[in-house]
Amino acid sequence: MVRTALLALAVATSTLPPPAFAMRLEAVPSVLERAVDDFIRPGYRDLHEAAADAARQVSSLCLAPTDDGLQTARGAFDSLVEAWSHIEIIRVGPAIENYRFERFLYYPDRKSIGLKQVQALLAKPDESATDAESLAGKSVAMQGLGALEFVLFGTGSETLSRTPHNFRCRYGAAIAGNLENVSAELTAEWEKPDGVQQAWKHPGPGNPIYRSAEEAVTGLLGILVHSIEATKDQRLQAFYRGPDERTRPKSAIYWRSENTFPSISGNVRAVQDLWKTARMADLLDDEFQSVAGSAEFVMTSVLRVADDVNQPVDELVESKAGRAKLDFLLLNMNDLLDRLNRDYGGAIGLGAGFSFADGD
Amino acid sequence: MRGPAAIARSAALDRRAFLRMAGAAWAATLAPDRLFALERSDAVYASGFMAPDGRYGIATVSEKGEIIERVALPARSHGMAFNPVSRHAVAFARRPGTFAMVFDPEGRDTPILMHAAEGRHFYGHGCFSPDGRILYASENDFDGGRGVIGLYDATDDYRRIGEFPTYGIGTHDMTATPDGRFLVVANGGIETHPDFGRTKLNLGRMEPSLALVDAATGALVERHAMPENLRQLSTRHVDLDAEGRVWFACQYEGPRNDLPPLVGHFRHGEPLAFIDLPDEATVALANYVGAIAVNREAGLVGLTSPKGGSVVTLSAATGKVVEQMRTADAAGIAAATTGFAVSSYDGGFAGGRQPVAWDQHILRLG
Repeated sequence: MVRTALLALAVATSTLPPPAFAMRLEAVPSVLERAVDDFIRPGYRDLHEAAADAARQVSSLCLAPTDDGLQTARGAFDSLVEAWSHIEIIRVGPAIENYRFERFLYYPDRKSIGLKQVQALLAKPDESATDAESLAGKSVAMQGLGALEFVLFGTGSETLSRTPHNFRCRYGAAIAGNLENVSAELTAEWEKPDGVQQAWKHPGPGNPIYRSAEEAVTGLLGILVHSIEATKDQRLQAFYRGPDERTRPKSAIYWRSENTFPSISGNVRAVQDLWKTARMADLLDDEFQSVAGSAEFVMTSVLRVADDVNQPVDELVESKAGRAKLDFLLLNMNDLLDRLNRDYGGAIGLGAGFSFADGD
Repeated sequence: MRGPAAIARSAALDRRAFLRMAGAAWAATLAPDRLFALERSDAVYASGFMAPDGRYGIATVSEKGEIIERVALPARSHGMAFNPVSRHAVAFARRPGTFAMVFDPEGRDTPILMHAAEGRHFYGHGCFSPDGRILYASENDFDGGRGVIGLYDATDDYRRIGEFPTYGIGTHDMTATPDGRFLVVANGGIETHPDFGRTKLNLGRMEPSLALVDAATGALVERHAMPENLRQLSTRHVDLDAEGRVWFACQYEGPRNDLPPLVGHFRHGEPLAFIDLPDEATVALANYVGAIAVNREAGLVGLTSPKGGSVVTLSAATGKVVEQMRTADAAGIAAATTGFAVSSYDGGFAGGRQPVAWDQHILRLG
């Protein structure tokens, strides 16, 4: 089944001619407004809520450690990863200022800097790491989701449910508090009426981000394309580069908490949500609506397979069926990139998909 | 003209010389329309392209923008270099690519596919030594987090024979001085790693610089860091003028409504001099110069901006704007007999138009 779908898509890709026309400029303002008001701002608000809940649950666990409390805290972490995986596709603006992105998630961590720093801290406790504000001034590798995951799911995490106010738990609460603070900053930046949202919604001369409608649409489409690229290159290919290549399951993001695929699905679902919520197909002339249909078809196909992965990564890469799913995802993410970059970008007149893809 | 083609100050390659070097047999293999293009051509260029079906290649192009011949590539290419002795050209994979294709624009020799060394990927540019013996390639030592110059023996199947440091990160374009003593390297200052694709990893702490490297020993001759207030000004592309000055062009990563200097020059032993462009030229270039070329005979410096959809021409002597044109998706630029040949992502090339998307650079063959 999977193999047939792979072939069908490969043929479709190679025969689709790229259209090259202009975008419907009159649709641009409402597309930008919906992207900001209906995707980005709610996304950061949801993130803030999830981070606040994680901070509450971990703090509660520290006060009254129980197995149930540990499970609740772990569940709050899962929800936080879900919220982050949705809004992390916005790798522009306030998210990349003041190292907020790295502070929230330091990944890939090729040299396991985070793991080494967290393990060193747990071996030799430093009380200044148990306060969210002072933790914020320490290494980005020990104050984000990766560090919190190790605290809640890594070796020794069972001790969290044993002793009240233990150091590991208080450090975890500080990380969650730090994430709550960062997400509060992100929300505040996007909620300022005259701030970044204004710049996004009203491109023009003097605008610090977008000086024209075309630039703004280029930026918006760039978010979709760069997100799919990042999910493919940084998340999937971190542990699976294709048939006959060495697999590295312990390089997978969130492998300890088995959130690898919820996160990957979350990224792709976020791309689909942004595409649909902003109604980016509205920028296409009627005769090119099939370009949107093709892109949406591939998004749905990728999500169907990503959602269907229900094994830990180390088992997934060892099984034939699992590797077939990964091959499908890699191939179809490449196809999706072509659909968005070349076909959609070309159809709305963005230089055959080259313009926004960083000329170098 | 960029890279090594800038080094060899030869006259435009005329039709008769091209046919003589190409050989009658190769010319006979051309489709009639392409031979027609060649017969009318006074100079030839090469440029990477993407065909309508999404495939990538390199094309040789006449001075009128007509495609003469194509070579298929496994993926998207970026910059190129021309060997003035063997008359071979090299197309480098777009970063973080791992291949480079050596091809013979005159159709005599079979293309050679080069692969990046273990732990290295190509950064998309390179140049030949003026004697044609060594190919220098800008590369990323990605685990070391530093740029390097790969050295390849052009007389021995492009065997890798060593490497020099670039004394910077995010190395991009490079060229050699006409006497072959120095390599001029643009270190864009942006860290990338193949694990992260093309993600810019250090926009908050960029380290752009221009370095002059001893071509024989790899020793650092001089290094020009960007001033503190221009740390987000990524130095990307370089070319040399007739006076031996290095012209450099930049891409700014800071706020879009800033008006940073985008172009400048320096000479060995002298500090950087930025050109104070009129605001309207800076705005037209959208804080992003995609390619730079010097027409040495005409004393002109050409700049393209795909983001701004414009081409700006300066006087090399005064730095003043000579001409400013709107060209949608302006991509590559190279010296022409008079002025410049400019290509665009939407198929424009030197006034002609082809059903391909031209990539970011043009190489003049000769």
